[in-house]
Amino acid sequence: MARNGLLHRIWNNRIVYLFISPFYILFLIFGLFPILWSFYLTFHEWNGLSPMTPVGLGNYAALLRDTTFHEALANTTIYWIVDIVFTLSLALILASLLHNAWLRGGKAFKITLFLPYVTATVAVGLVFNMIFDFNSGLINSILKDLSLTPQPWLNSTGLSKIPVMVLNVWRVTPWYMLIIFSGLQAINPEFYEAATVDGANAFHKLFYITIPSLAPILFFCFLTETIDSFRIFTEPFVMTSGGPGSSSLSIVLYLYRSGFQIFKMGYASTIAYALTFILLIIAAAQIFFLRKQGSGLAEGSQ
Amino acid sequence: MTSTLAPTQERRPGPRLQPGRLLIYAVLIAWCALSIFPLLWMVGTSLKPITEPIGGLNSMIPNAPTLSNYVKVSTLLPLARNTLNSVIVATTSTLITVFLCALAGFAFAKYEFPGKTWLFFLLIGTMLIPPEAGLVPTFLIMRKLGWINTYWSLIIPRAATAIGIFYMRQYITSFPTEVMEQARLDGCGEFRIFWNLVLPVVTPALAAWATLAFIARWNDFMYPLLFMTTKTMYTLMVSISKLPVSESLSTPWPVIMAGSVIAVFPLIMIYLVLQRFQVTGLQVGAVKG
Repeated sequence: MARNGLLHRIWNNRIVYLFISPFYILFLIFGLFPILWSFYLTFHEWNGLSPMTPVGLGNYAALLRDTTFHEALANTTIYWIVDIVFTLSLALILASLLHNAWLRGGKAFKITLFLPYVTATVAVGLVFNMIFDFNSGLINSILKDLSLTPQPWLNSTGLSKIPVMVLNVWRVTPWYMLIIFSGLQAINPEFYEAATVDGANAFHKLFYITIPSLAPILFFCFLTETIDSFRIFTEPFVMTSGGPGSSSLSIVLYLYRSGFQIFKMGYASTIAYALTFILLIIAAAQIFFLRKQGSGLAEGSQ
Repeated sequence: MTSTLAPTQERRPGPRLQPGRLLIYAVLIAWCALSIFPLLWMVGTSLKPITEPIGGLNSMIPNAPTLSNYVKVSTLLPLARNTLNSVIVATTSTLITVFLCALAGFAFAKYEFPGKTWLFFLLIGTMLIPPEAGLVPTFLIMRKLGWINTYWSLIIPRAATAIGIFYMRQYITSFPTEVMEQARLDGCGEFRIFWNLVLPVVTPALAAWATLAFIARWNDFMYPLLFMTTKTMYTLMVSISKLPVSESLSTPWPVIMAGSVIAVFPLIMIYLVLQRFQVTGLQVGAVKG
């Protein structure tokens, strides 16, 4: 009887299931199916044409020993940390400044500040390449004017990550600025008024009202930026091709090369699984941390 | 919901120039300058004859502006065709994704049905998995489907996105349920309710989401790089990424910048047209997020 009731309810809602079905169908075909197939490939050696050779855990063992992968992992971790620190703090600062009620021209500021996000990554990658160019770049010509030594920004193993990170921070900051700004606007102004009555200063307000109220949004920003910066591909591809050597190689760029330039499709899938594993660990850690913070954050989410 | 959330601190009548406020203006103006500067530099360089120096700040404005770099870049690459490809792909996928995300978002916001919680949980969960996890097989699937060098390979996989559905659901939740019940009494079907009643009300959210989707699709790089293998099927992004070394010669910077301007310009235009929806649209999403 209960079961019939359930089937009945499902049947009654058939049009609703139809409404949500495109996502799930597409996810099955272009999400889940490739991910499972990819898992199967991690246990094989395959160039995409000749028959597959089963290698057991060989790809995983090779990955653990692969110094190029280690370097890509280290680079990507650096990209991640620098992106998170600079992007989110700049976004928080800019959003708080824009949130001042007395500010004139707020709309013009917002539109201008958002422009970097509305650019094509490949195109601005080329622009930043020109600006960082050794011989004719703007940065080195400024350094020369200041009687400093021009630096081979894009051609030295020590510096090549910098232009990639500068581009990324420049382009992504406005996006988080906008999200945090929306969050600031949603905080009930009465909290601040009450705090003022109770004699709180700006510092108290920041730590006891603004940051707790923003916590869910900051968490969202942290999580999405983590996923995005671990997936960094276009910036190093366009600006440095991962070089010189592997000094600016990212995990996804290495995955792309392994799979589609030297056609080691099993190995490329193993890299993809390593990336997924790392991201799931980070996400789980963040969610665990959020749970532990407990109700304090939940209250902030109004 | 939107209007009540506007900042309620009243504006002071006259601008009072306190040192603290001046500092805030200075910081904002400085960051605005940093935001526009690379774009101005790009446009300036693209107008320079290739003999003019591109270094120093003093060379910001070209001495003898010329459009010859734009002519040169379009002889190096089939840019008209590449632009057309990008426009077709970005526009079609934006329209489809806005429709499908709004429809699914509407279903999650306004209906109770068995499995709703789990289906929504699954939807959110997919956001944590990087799409690269299945990159190699995705390529093989496209090859099997015969979608290599077709627009389908770029449009269909992203036709409905989890984040878009999540976002539209947040927005549509505030649509009054009584209006839907009244419409049902008047004999309106569920899709008609969506199409005739809900969609017109959520236009700001649609426009905001459309802007973001368009930016994302225009910027797509890895998929077109993998799935488009002939010069005429390249999207603009793939095409200009090949500029620095085309025909195995290194291209002069002004010519590369001309290509970059062509790639950036349409996005900025779309943004300036649609930006008025952006803040109101995103606001509601963030509030309940």
